[in-house]
Amino acid sequence: MAGKTIVVTSGKGGVGKTTTVANLGTTLAKKKYSVVMLDADIGLRNLDVVMGLENRIVYNLVDIIEGKCRKAQAMIRDRKLSNLFIIPAAQTREKSAVNPEQMKQLCAELAEEFDFVIIDCPAGIEQGFKNAVAGASTAVVVTTPEVSAIRDADRVIGLLEASELKNIYLVINRLNVKMVKKGDMMSTEDIIALLSVPLLGVVPESEEVVISTNRGIPLVHERGSKAGSAFRRIASRLNGESIPIDEDGADGFFGRMKRLIWN
Amino acid sequence: MVSLLRRFFGVDKQSGQVARKRMQFVLMHDRIDITPDLMEAVRKDILDVLSKYMEIDGKSLKVDLEQGKDFMALISNVQVKRVYRHAT
Repeated sequence: MAGKTIVVTSGKGGVGKTTTVANLGTTLAKKKYSVVMLDADIGLRNLDVVMGLENRIVYNLVDIIEGKCRKAQAMIRDRKLSNLFIIPAAQTREKSAVNPEQMKQLCAELAEEFDFVIIDCPAGIEQGFKNAVAGASTAVVVTTPEVSAIRDADRVIGLLEASELKNIYLVINRLNVKMVKKGDMMSTEDIIALLSVPLLGVVPESEEVVISTNRGIPLVHERGSKAGSAFRRIASRLNGESIPIDEDGADGFFGRMKRLIWN
Repeated sequence: MVSLLRRFFGVDKQSGQVARKRMQFVLMHDRIDITPDLMEAVRKDILDVLSKYMEIDGKSLKVDLEQGKDFMALISNVQVKRVYRHAT
């Protein structure tokens, strides 16, 4: 039984791809699925620090592809979840150390072993992007409500549609609800209308994200975190569960109580 | 304070709406991949064709792409000075 291969991409850097990968992977693993997260950002790896696994790296993605180690040797098990792994990117190599064919092969092999293979794509639309996308059957495009991020997301969606990738979903990250209410930020509706890709969810802007990254513990482990529960719902939707989107922006006393009870 | 007043009296539009409008325009151009050079070439060609039949004010000729709800339109406005009696 082959698992799902999902690439998380954005075009623009710094919109929260790695955070999204870490939180989606962790949530799916908490749901008892076997998950491997693949850092395809060769030369600028970060998934390891976001997951708090930076001091356990021995082998990396390029080592697997060059046959210097077995796949299992490069996989690092999560500190909390025994069914969650990461494969770090090489830090001192170039993107050209890997080609799309090799990535396709590797992802297909990983999908035989795991329920979910989640690929962290580098920023940009060059070789690194092509490598990261090659082995995926589903794409999650992350954007923030800013003009530059949306423009780049649109470009990436165009490239994905032109490739064989047909399942493309959108995640809006760092939405500032107050600013939207004041009319000083594009709303979820505005962004969907511009990009016309099905929405997987909206993550509110939150200091908690910075704090969890500082600690190297994904936010979805945290109870009562608004951004964390947004990521959890996104993971559930990605898993085919139907959860209404409008809960994402919900706040207030009852929203918080609900999160405390249900999370 | 001044900016608050400006907004209150509707001088400044809300920046979210400004962003949305700008993005509609930018994405449309990105998607069809028309560069300003290409638009200029289209403008020149339209000018040449029209000039065969009428005297027109070249400077007044404007060519724009506009996004309708389900379609895109090329809209061109030009001031005609005189139509030639015998088209060549």
